Amino acid sequence: MGIEMKEVVFIVVALLTVVPCLIVAFSRNILYSAFSLFFTLLGTSGLYFFLDAEFLAIAQVVVYIGGVTVLLLFAILLTKNIQEIKETNALSMKRAYFAGASSFILLASLIFLAVKEWKFFEAGPGTDYPFLTLNQLGELMLNKYLLPFEAASILLLVVLIGSLVIAKRAVK
Amino acid sequence: MVPLSWYIVLSAVLFSIGVFGFLVRRNLIMIFLSMELMLNSVNISFVAFSHYLQSMTGQVMVFFVITVAAAEAAIGLAILIVFYKNNPTLNSDEINLLKG
Repeated sequence: MGIEMKEVVFIVVALLTVVPCLIVAFSRNILYSAFSLFFTLLGTSGLYFFLDAEFLAIAQVVVYIGGVTVLLLFAILLTKNIQEIKETNALSMKRAYFAGASSFILLASLIFLAVKEWKFFEAGPGTDYPFLTLNQLGELMLNKYLLPFEAASILLLVVLIGSLVIAKRAVK
Repeated sequence: MVPLSWYIVLSAVLFSIGVFGFLVRRNLIMIFLSMELMLNSVNISFVAFSHYLQSMTGQVMVFFVITVAAAEAAIGLAILIVFYKNNPTLNSDEINLLKG
């Protein structure tokens, strides 16, 4: 079986996601990490496009790249203390061994589970969604998942007011 | 056709990198970044399952995850900046006011 175009594109997008992710975890410079997070999120958005979730991809770009990344950059610039950032960003070896071992065990067990359930994963029909996913999404949100939807909106309101209150206290 | 298992493995790799960053870093902002990575990897597997099971429920879940992640980032960073104004450190080893 030859490698098709779709798989090549998937591998390229996956690399676009994983390589910046590695930079996030290993870079010594905190600003480089934040900018790499930007590219990881962009790659994830590409994966969503690949999985026919267009609206989700756009929402990912708007919320994560437009909101969270900018917020993180502001936080980094507002708390800049070069000496301390150098100190806290250095990988301490003891910690790195422990973290590497535990995350490797986690990865191995996750992949072991994936291999164990391989048959289940390949049973899916793997065809495309019906043409308009946005309609279905809106119907689900306003019928079956109305309560969580409203709860999310209340959560956002609370966060808006709460962050204003916290910021106001900081000015005093 | 890209098999579902590729997405699952990709998601597992991203999650493990996030866990590594979370454990190895001592800067609170870096811990935040790693947390976003982990949430993001879970979202990928949600959307992949949603695609292969032909069900939109996974995408609805991803919306809620994105909402909670954005809320968490906003409040968390606000708390972090207020904390930094009170005592200027972001080293997670030195933040032990609640230790008792």
